[in-house]
Amino acid sequence: MNSQEIYKEDLLRKYIDPEMIEEAPKGFTSKVMTQIQLESKPLPVTQTLREKSFVPVISASVTVLLIAAAFLIPDNKSASLTSLFLNLSKNLKISLPEVDLSSVFRLTLPSVMIYVFLGILILTLFDRALYHIFHREK
Amino acid sequence: MDYKGDIYYIEQVLAGKNNAFGYIVDQHKNNAFNLAFRICGNHEEAEELAQDSFLKAYRALNSFKMKSSFATWFYRIVYNTTISHVRLKKKGVLSLEDFPADATDFIGTNTNEEEAEKEYRNSLVNFALQKITEEERGLISLYYYEDMSTDEIADVTGISKSNIKVRLFRARKKMQEIIEKTEKKKLIYHE
Repeated sequence: MNSQEIYKEDLLRKYIDPEMIEEAPKGFTSKVMTQIQLESKPLPVTQTLREKSFVPVISASVTVLLIAAAFLIPDNKSASLTSLFLNLSKNLKISLPEVDLSSVFRLTLPSVMIYVFLGILILTLFDRALYHIFHREK
Repeated sequence: MDYKGDIYYIEQVLAGKNNAFGYIVDQHKNNAFNLAFRICGNHEEAEELAQDSFLKAYRALNSFKMKSSFATWFYRIVYNTTISHVRLKKKGVLSLEDFPADATDFIGTNTNEEEAEKEYRNSLVNFALQKITEEERGLISLYYYEDMSTDEIADVTGISKSNIKVRLFRARKKMQEIIEKTEKKKLIYHE
């Protein structure tokens, strides 16, 4: 730093008084804290509704896919993976009474599948009921 | 109540006690406001920018590394927020004719001559600050008001140390010229 630079800097220091800082206006802290408190509150209703509607859409899609898969599974032993699944389910020995829907829906579904669908339906109803009980505050 | 240090309150906030952030705000509000004001030159905007910076700091508190200085990290937020704001909203600068010619112009109902002289110099500095670029204003404020070293300023601004020295020198020179010019005008006014 040459002498001219020191001179200039000192002269600027003569004018700039670090004590003369501009102070924040009154109520500054409370304004900031109010905004922080607002940010800490739950998300707006529109956003939570969007999130809420997203979950049933996924579950409905999965359920529809499962049902469609059940309808589309061919009763054919050559289809390796599907026939394996069918054979497995046919061989399951359950104590529940046999349900024959072939006359109603013209389906050759093993009775275990019908119980599976019934189970899913009951669980879904329970899930909806519990959801309404525990998420009512939101 | 004694301030227990930034880290203590940051840990409290991260543990879920949001109100602890109030102590941090109280501790740094004047410096944040001063830095924002020196760069943007407007009290209302400076208040908004300082508030905005505190909110940004609160939101990003998780990313703050406890090993570094909170003040440096926070000033970086204030500096960047204010510089971006000023760049977006380039304002017209005052002309030399706008500046009061004498310290007596600063004597209000509650100020004596000494205080008026201080006010005059402070306003002259603010006036000169408005004549340099927003980046230079930031450097001058950090160097003179926050008493930061060139290393610390480099941390805050992200500009290299050597570049800061060059820019500070240029900024000082410009401000010096403006102050000298205004002071000369003051002498003519008195004659």
